[in-house]
Amino acid sequence: MDDMRLADSAVKAAETKIAARKVQVFYGDSHAIKDVDIDIADRTVTAFIGPSGCGKSTFLRCLNRMNDTIPACRVEGDILLDGEDIYDKRVDPVQLRARVGMVFQKPNPFPKSIYENVAYGPKIHGLARNKAELDEIVESSLRRAALWNEAKDRLSAPGTGLSGGQQQRLCIARAIATSPEVLLMDEPCSALDPIATAQVEELIDELRAQFSVVIVTHSMQQAARVSQRTAFFHLGNLVEYGETGQIFTNPRDPRTESYITGRIG
Amino acid sequence: MESQHIMRAFDRDLEGIQAMVMRMGGMVEAAILEAGQALEARDDELAEKVRMGDKAIDALEEKIGEEASRLIALRAPTAGDLRIVLSVMKIAASLERVGDYAKNMAKRANVLGQMTAIPGAGGSLRRMSKTVVQMLSDALDAYNTRDAALAEDVRNRDREVDQMYNALFREFLTHMMEDPRNITACMHLHFIAKNIERMGDHATTIAEQVIYLVTGVMPEENRPKAETVTAIGVGGK
Repeated sequence: MDDMRLADSAVKAAETKIAARKVQVFYGDSHAIKDVDIDIADRTVTAFIGPSGCGKSTFLRCLNRMNDTIPACRVEGDILLDGEDIYDKRVDPVQLRARVGMVFQKPNPFPKSIYENVAYGPKIHGLARNKAELDEIVESSLRRAALWNEAKDRLSAPGTGLSGGQQQRLCIARAIATSPEVLLMDEPCSALDPIATAQVEELIDELRAQFSVVIVTHSMQQAARVSQRTAFFHLGNLVEYGETGQIFTNPRDPRTESYITGRIG
Repeated sequence: MESQHIMRAFDRDLEGIQAMVMRMGGMVEAAILEAGQALEARDDELAEKVRMGDKAIDALEEKIGEEASRLIALRAPTAGDLRIVLSVMKIAASLERVGDYAKNMAKRANVLGQMTAIPGAGGSLRRMSKTVVQMLSDALDAYNTRDAALAEDVRNRDREVDQMYNALFREFLTHMMEDPRNITACMHLHFIAKNIERMGDHATTIAEQVIYLVTGVMPEENRPKAETVTAIGVGGK
C-alpha cells in the first residue's frame, strides 16, 4: 500500500531545505510564535494553514527575514537554510532574499514595464553580464511563470496594465528571476479569480521540481490541492505537521480536525 | 466529533445521510428476521412481504448515494467528516446486499413451502439469521455511539456464523446422501445458509467501517475465520 502513495514517498526522499528550531517571535510584549520546530523539505510544496492571527504569516516572514523591517519584532531560536543560520550577523538579508524569494497576497508589480519588473532582481544582484543574458533570464522566468505567451508582444508595456492574475504571475516571474532556492508565498491567490488561481496553482506544482515552495493560505482546499506537506498553526503554536493527505483525512490533533472541518472547536 | 460546524447546514446534511443509513439498517434487520420466520413457519404471505419490501431498501440506498455525492461536491468534507461520508456509502452498499440476500431467502422460502420439510432446517437457519441480525444491530449501534470496541467484538463474532454454516453444510449433505429426493430442498436450504453466512461478512464489513470512522485506520485483515467447507472434497471428506 505504501508504494502507491507516490506523493508521500517523494516527500520522504526530499532533503531538508530549511530547519527551524525553537523559534520564538515577539512583537513587543506579545508572543506571536512559540517554540516552533519544523523541517521544510526541498523540492516540496509546504502549506501553512491556521486561523487569522495564528502566526503562520509571521513565521513565513521569518524565513527570509522580512520581520527585520518591523522595529518591535524580535526573533529567537535558529532557522537554518542548508544548515546555515540565516540570522547570523554575517548574512546579508538582501542576499538571503535573493535565495529565499517572496510573493505577496496582492500583486504588487513595480510601476515599470513588464520587462523591467522581471529584470530588476537579476540586475541588482548582477546575475546577467550583458543584455542578451538578461533577455534570456526575463524570457525563461516569464515562461516558467506561464506568462510568456501573453506578455511577449508587450514587454515594454507597464506591468500594472496586466489583469490581476497576470500581475500575480508577473510577481512570481520576478521572484524566480533571481533563481531562488525557496519561494515563500503569502496567500498568493486570495485576490485572484478561480481560473487565475488554478493557473497559479499549476505553476506552483511545476516550480516544485526546481525548488522548495512554502505557501500560506486561508483556503484549505488550496492547501490540499497544491501541497505535499501541511503545517497547522494555532495561537502561535505549530500544532501539527505532516503529509497533506494524512492531515486532511486523519489529523492526529483534535484542534487540527476542528479547524479543517470548520467546527467551532 | 461532538462539536458543531460553524455552518450548521453541514451538520444537518451529515446527520441526514446517517439517519438514512440507520433507517435502512432497521429495514434490513426486519427483512432478515421476517424471512427467517417465513421460512420456519412456511408463511407464504410473510415471505411475499419481504420480497416486496426490498424495493424500498434499494431506493434508500440510491438516495443515500445521491445525498453523499451531493455532500462531497458541495461541502468538500475532510478528516472525520470525510470518513463519515465514505463509511455511510460503504455501509449502505453492504446493507443493500444484505437486503438482497433476505429477499432471496424469502423467495426460496416460498419454493420450499411446496416441498417436504427437512426436519430442523428451518429452525437452524432462523437461529443463524438471528445471530447475524444481532451482529448487524450491534455494528450499527457501534456506529451510532462511535464504539470501536463493540465493532471489534462484532468482527470477532463472524466466526460463530461461519461455524453454524459449516455445521449446516454437513447436515444438508447428510440429508442429500441419505435420500436423493431431498436434494432440491437441501440445495435451496444450502443457498440460504450460504447467503446468511455472507450477511455475516457484510456485518463484519460494516463493523470495519465503524473502526475506520472512529480511528481513521482500517483494521488489519487478521480476524478469525472459521468457514472450512470450501475445502471439503468428494463424499463430504
